[in-house]
Amino acid sequence: MKVMVCLKQVPHQDARLDVNADGTWIQEDNIKFEINSYDTYAVEEALRLKDAGSADEVVVVSIGPDRVTQALRTALGMGADRAIHVNDDAAAGADALATAKILAAVAKEEGADLVFAGLMADDDNASAIPPMVAELLGFPSATGVLATDFSGDAVKVERELEGGALEVVELPKPCLIAIQSGANQVRYASLKGIMQAKKKPVDVKTLGDLGLADQASAAQNKTTVNKIYVPAKGDTAEILSGSTDEVVGQLVTKIKELGLL
Amino acid sequence: MGTILVVAEIQKGAIREASYELVAAAQGIEGGEVNGLVIGSGVGDLANEFASKGAGKTYVVDDAAAENYNVDVWSKAIKAAAEASSADLILISNTPTGWDVAPRIAAGLDCAFTSDCISAAAGDGGYDFVRRIFGGKLDAEVSTSGATVATMQPGAMAAFEGSSDGGTEALSADLAAGAKFVEIKVAEATGVDLTKADVIVSGGRGVGDPEKFPEVIQPLADALGGAMGASRPVVDAGWLDHPYQVGSSGQIVAPKLYIAAGISGAIQHLVGMKASNFIVAINKDPDAPIFEVADVGVVADLFDIVPALTEAVSAAKG
Repeated sequence: MKVMVCLKQVPHQDARLDVNADGTWIQEDNIKFEINSYDTYAVEEALRLKDAGSADEVVVVSIGPDRVTQALRTALGMGADRAIHVNDDAAAGADALATAKILAAVAKEEGADLVFAGLMADDDNASAIPPMVAELLGFPSATGVLATDFSGDAVKVERELEGGALEVVELPKPCLIAIQSGANQVRYASLKGIMQAKKKPVDVKTLGDLGLADQASAAQNKTTVNKIYVPAKGDTAEILSGSTDEVVGQLVTKIKELGLL
Repeated sequence: MGTILVVAEIQKGAIREASYELVAAAQGIEGGEVNGLVIGSGVGDLANEFASKGAGKTYVVDDAAAENYNVDVWSKAIKAAAEASSADLILISNTPTGWDVAPRIAAGLDCAFTSDCISAAAGDGGYDFVRRIFGGKLDAEVSTSGATVATMQPGAMAAFEGSSDGGTEALSADLAAGAKFVEIKVAEATGVDLTKADVIVSGGRGVGDPEKFPEVIQPLADALGGAMGASRPVVDAGWLDHPYQVGSSGQIVAPKLYIAAGISGAIQHLVGMKASNFIVAINKDPDAPIFEVADVGVVADLFDIVPALTEAVSAAKG
């Protein structure tokens, strides 16, 4: 079974978020990037299948500029076998559907039996792409998955619903599974893994290589981000000021007023 | 503008509040005719309710195959209703159902998609939306061109409370599914029931270290006679078990006092605690969204404030 994992490189969770010059995205120069947190769980889920002998190969795929190599190397260091990097200026700023078309083309070319992805991205919080990829491939899909069971012919998954309830669903293979944050404990890339990763292939492709030259670039976007901004503060908190003792004193007064002391 | 198709979601035998929020969003878009869609088994009465409470003409896919949510059944039913209603905009709630099915519809129809929106309006050749990004730290204005599928954030707007006179129309569709529903597992009862606590002290990613929960967060909860909670990243990292999680996928709480320490305030967390009577937020980042729902905020290192507060509370009790 060949397993493909879609991963996105996103600004580090603690990165400073400044709006860029044209106001449409954040300033990306001189900030740190990392693998989208949800995607790390997806990589881990795929590697566990390989550890168990159910997956023959784990291929990680990412779209983006040169910096994305770092995210792919990290995934290779964790144990993925191969990486595909779609590096094409025309794909920069592509909307979710155009991006899904690129990932679906890669999955088709690879003949993936199983596609893993993270439920959503930490930057745009869209949770859009994985079901789109599944639809384009004609695969059944499940999102928000916390547990997988590959012991039968069909894959049994547990989807997280609200309030901690879980929905158990069976998907025939091939299928796509979008993993929820917290599904497993993600391994770190070991030093040995990082050394080995340097020898693993990272295949760089353009949209043209995938037969998508005029079909999946930002020029085809049906959804456009016009402007991003810091939201206007609504009814914000009364901010307490002063020394630690003064602040603590004010908090104790509030707690007393609530009748809790 | 063409028809706006509003997809209802049924929970515990009733149409969800969030579905009426979608109706409000649709009714607020100038020039669009609103149609509804109800999917399920034995849902004729609910479809009548939806049609009369703002959704207007409501399509019903009433089929044993739709008794439980199934991504393929919903996908086919929504596509059939989109065709029957000549929908130009399809609105779905950003719930576990919405994020599972909505992007599939957009890909299947090869149309525009956006998600988790907090407002919707008619645009130039499409629709305009506002959505939260980076966990609520920034907002984005998004425009679509042509037919659009969008999901709306539950709770972002008030539910529609007017009436409509649309009637219902049964829709039959091929509902053959690849995915198969097996069962719903409800959350297991545990010793931790935050919903009964008068005081909750929750720690987030800012606590930084699993050992700091028993050392710093729990003592303040104990001093106040309350319980300890946590935000999702803490539970995902394995620092605390799921029963401690406050938020949309954990426990929904409304104590007399909620203290959030080192929690930035992602929407999933806010949904779970914003109904609290009094909220204190302690965070180093003055721009953290948690300060927008808090009554009182302290912009400081939680490790300076929380231990000192624990001591002061203990002293005040004598």
